Amino acid sequence: MRILLLEDDGQLGPWIANGLREEGHVVDHFENGKDALMAAMGQEFDLLILDRMVPDLDGLAVLKSLRASRDTTPALFLSALGEVDSRIEGFDAGGDDYLTKPFAFAELSARVSALGRRRDAGDTRHANDTTLRHGDLSLDLLARRCQRGGQTIDLMAKEFKLLEYFMRRPGRLVTRTMLLEQVWDMSFDPTTSVVETHISRLRAKIDKPFETAMLRTRRGEGYVFGA
Amino acid sequence: MFLVPSITARLGWLRRSSSLRLSLLLSAIFAVGFAVAIYVALTLGQRAIERRVDTTLGALAQAAIVDDRREDSAAMILRRRDDLAGLPAPFARAVARGGGTIYLDDDLMRSERWRVSVAQDARGTPVMVAVPLDDSERAQELLSETLWTTAAIVIAGTLAIGLGAGLLAQRRLARINDTLGRLAMGDLTARTSTSRTRDDLDDIAAQLDLTAAELERLVTQTRHLSASIAHDLRTPLARLRAQLEGVPEGAERDAALDEAARLSDIFDTIMRVARIEAQHGREGFKAVPLDALASDLGETFGPVVEDGGKTLDLNIGSCATIQGDQGMLVQALANLIQNAIVHGGQRITLFAHGRTIGVSDNGAGVDPSQFAEIIKPMVRLDTARTTQGSGLGLALVKAVADRHGARLILARQDPQGLSVALEFAQL
Repeated sequence: MRILLLEDDGQLGPWIANGLREEGHVVDHFENGKDALMAAMGQEFDLLILDRMVPDLDGLAVLKSLRASRDTTPALFLSALGEVDSRIEGFDAGGDDYLTKPFAFAELSARVSALGRRRDAGDTRHANDTTLRHGDLSLDLLARRCQRGGQTIDLMAKEFKLLEYFMRRPGRLVTRTMLLEQVWDMSFDPTTSVVETHISRLRAKIDKPFETAMLRTRRGEGYVFGA
Repeated sequence: MFLVPSITARLGWLRRSSSLRLSLLLSAIFAVGFAVAIYVALTLGQRAIERRVDTTLGALAQAAIVDDRREDSAAMILRRRDDLAGLPAPFARAVARGGGTIYLDDDLMRSERWRVSVAQDARGTPVMVAVPLDDSERAQELLSETLWTTAAIVIAGTLAIGLGAGLLAQRRLARINDTLGRLAMGDLTARTSTSRTRDDLDDIAAQLDLTAAELERLVTQTRHLSASIAHDLRTPLARLRAQLEGVPEGAERDAALDEAARLSDIFDTIMRVARIEAQHGREGFKAVPLDALASDLGETFGPVVEDGGKTLDLNIGSCATIQGDQGMLVQALANLIQNAIVHGGQRITLFAHGRTIGVSDNGAGVDPSQFAEIIKPMVRLDTARTTQGSGLGLALVKAVADRHGARLILARQDPQGLSVALEFAQL
């Protein structure tokens, strides 16, 4: 992917840029908003990673200008402003995702690939399906029924939502924060092990009684379904 | 559909309009004053005319010599007192009374109203003199019509001015009211921007605008300040995290990453409390049914509590739907559940009844004398600080309660334990 990175911090900028390059992306790194906006206006990018507080023109203003000129490139905000109202500002400006500093590189990487696939229409592939299938596992969204290998599995509402989220993103790294935000609508960390607990319950139902595991943990990074 | 409520609302406003009330009162006073003045003027005027007529009639009679000859004409009837034949009966009655004004059923020489006077002629013979009064009556009627018309115009004018002033004031008052409402909803850019007539209402509006501008400035300043603090603290935390990720994997790296994460969590909570406390009005509020909120939390945290070796009971009765920030409420209740898992007893209950939602447990509880202490930021009763946590949990719950105008109720459970609840005010 060709990524535009706007980050003025002398240490974080190169860290992010190099990390993404190591993953095979092409990164154009800018340290002020004006240059980033000029570049984004003149060239095609697959993804914009914008820090909110940078010199000249902040990331929010950069994205607003781009969206005003009908640029629909996916954008991810990186910000030290993590409170709900700041996040809402980010989404209102046309941002597709919002990541609060400090963050683990794996978290950024997972979100970058999620946004990249959205660009490739990956997410619309299953958007209208009423039944999601993966191997011998199927999830009927209308009847709210889950089956594996012909056996019906009884899922709680939250477990159902969790599995649906995973099944819509097969083979992709999903982080704990992504799950909290998307499945529980929590933009804060409830310090209790909400995600871990529900994942383990879900596993006990969809994986344990069967030979192969669908849901895998990637230590320190997150979870991958059906890889 | 839309017009009717707006008209009703306008009428409601008008009923309460002080200038319209004042003009109604003034109109009533004017009406009474006019009625008295007109009555007095007409009555006195008539009497004055009658006296004048009587004097004239007396003088005429004295200047004449009345004999058997009748000298009736359309302008005057002059006869001897005992020679009233041919005249309608009211004349005789008036003569018997010694004079007066009479009204005839049928015209006599084209006049219905006559003034009758008894006098003596030049030779001392008692005579009756009568003149028609229709001309003076017409003059009276004209006078009365003029007076009543003037009165009606003045009263209508007063009412119109009152209504106009009421409507004008209503427009400005409605604007002031609307501005106050928008400020309360959190729109700090709301201004009345009325300054044309520079009267008392405009002074109020101008003061309101000044206050709103000051409020907006302060809030913006606070936001900038907290944004700068967040930036200045989270950036080094992010650098630390980046550096730690570069360190070769191992137990020490993991421990350092954990510490960095805890540091960042504590800071997040401080920022969140500050942000919640800085917010105002009903910004971000939506309808939140408390029973649905409680059962949703029960489903999310039930398994967590169970995995912690405790039980979470749900006690949900019939609940109200309150106006609130769902995300904040979830955060506050998640904090209470977390507190109960760490510090509370084996049985944790999430309860919701009416306008109250909260968490209780059957643990050691907290002494009521320390209730005020534990909601202060950074205070932990566990002074040895052996358990985890920043001591910010209840401060956040308190901030969320304050933000919603809800009461934070701490109570001791029977026989032991602590119960913490938010009680939302009746709207």
